[in-house]
Amino acid sequence: MYKIAVDAMGGDNAPEAIVAGIEQARDKMPDTEFLLFGQLDKVKPLVKNEERLTLIQSDEIVEMGEEPVKAIRRKKQSSLVMAAQAVKDGEAEAIFSAGNTGALLAVGIFTVGRIRGIDRPALLTVLPALDGPHDAFAMMDVGANAENRSTHLYQYGILGSFYAQEVLGYDNPRVGLLNNGAEEDKGDPIHKEAHQLLKHGASQSYLNFVGNVESRDLLQGPADVVVADGFSGNAALKATEGTALAMLRLIKHTILDGNVKTKLAGLMLKPAMKDIQSQLDYSQHGGAVVIGVKAPVVKTHGSAGPSAVANTMGQIHTMLETDLVSKTEAFVAEHKSDLSKSAE
Amino acid sequence: MERQEILDKVITLVADHFELDPASITGETNLTKDIDADSIDFVELVLEMEDEFGAEISDEDAEKLITVNNTVDYIASRAK
Repeated sequence: MYKIAVDAMGGDNAPEAIVAGIEQARDKMPDTEFLLFGQLDKVKPLVKNEERLTLIQSDEIVEMGEEPVKAIRRKKQSSLVMAAQAVKDGEAEAIFSAGNTGALLAVGIFTVGRIRGIDRPALLTVLPALDGPHDAFAMMDVGANAENRSTHLYQYGILGSFYAQEVLGYDNPRVGLLNNGAEEDKGDPIHKEAHQLLKHGASQSYLNFVGNVESRDLLQGPADVVVADGFSGNAALKATEGTALAMLRLIKHTILDGNVKTKLAGLMLKPAMKDIQSQLDYSQHGGAVVIGVKAPVVKTHGSAGPSAVANTMGQIHTMLETDLVSKTEAFVAEHKSDLSKSAE
Repeated sequence: MERQEILDKVITLVADHFELDPASITGETNLTKDIDADSIDFVELVLEMEDEFGAEISDEDAEKLITVNNTVDYIASRAK
């Protein structure tokens, strides 16, 4: 039986959406128990069926805007910190929250703890690939770190490969390095060195490095794992999301502001537009993962509804079922000196 | 707890955290300059020390723990 610790108070729609999503997931996952941490006077009335749910009182809440490290150090009785502590103490195997991303990252690093040999855990997200062999790719770091060294990027290539292989089910996933050009000598010294390290990893058959990828090609699926430093990864992710939203809005306004013919054409295009929307909806692949820590630590977006919460539980279940963390830990332990060295 | 005992424990924690030879760490060891601890390493170390000594170290106090000796003195003063 798997056990997932849940921060029932995190997110804009908490605890309602969280409890409803967990109940949906519970009904689909007969081998999983959920530990719900939250203010029980608010959580308990929402629960329809307590089967495989354990409700645990936590007096405090880490708010969305709070400074992460201070919040987790001061609010030991918060739903987030208590859920993370349950993982640290071995009472649960994974933690989920829809709340403050920085605070979840902080409990991931400081409470759950880093995998030995991984210098800087990262945030990994799965995005749609509109072309190529698969319909989605994993990208990391999308914002856990403001600065990265080349060795971090090398380690992300390994962590991302394990994720794509075990959780997304890709055979020999293609790893690309987000850079400002396809050629090997592109980028700043960190990216040039990271390129050499990833190439070395490929020569040792640790991963399948396919070279640099550019941000304009990301959604075309040039790689199954895109390695980025936290700053560039975050900027690329937000630019991609923003552009997609702006394009959809532009199409909508052009139709709505057009003449009768345009509106009729818009009506006919509606099913196709819905299809595009569902292809771009990456919440079907679950939430963002704090990767490089000793247990699955997963975040779904703050405004997530019950089905996004349930999808994320499915993603955590796959991570537990495939034993992603142990496999990654074993590999990193075996190749520790290689993964921490700089390119010569 | 005697000062020497605290010193030994802090040295063990630091050595273990940064995978260093305990013999290379003394009371004078500067955690930021000699060991290259960045902010994440430092917070991890503070949390490990809180667990080890069962004492809370505030953020303001943590900023003053620059050398191993600073840390040992701080823990010794809190233990009194």
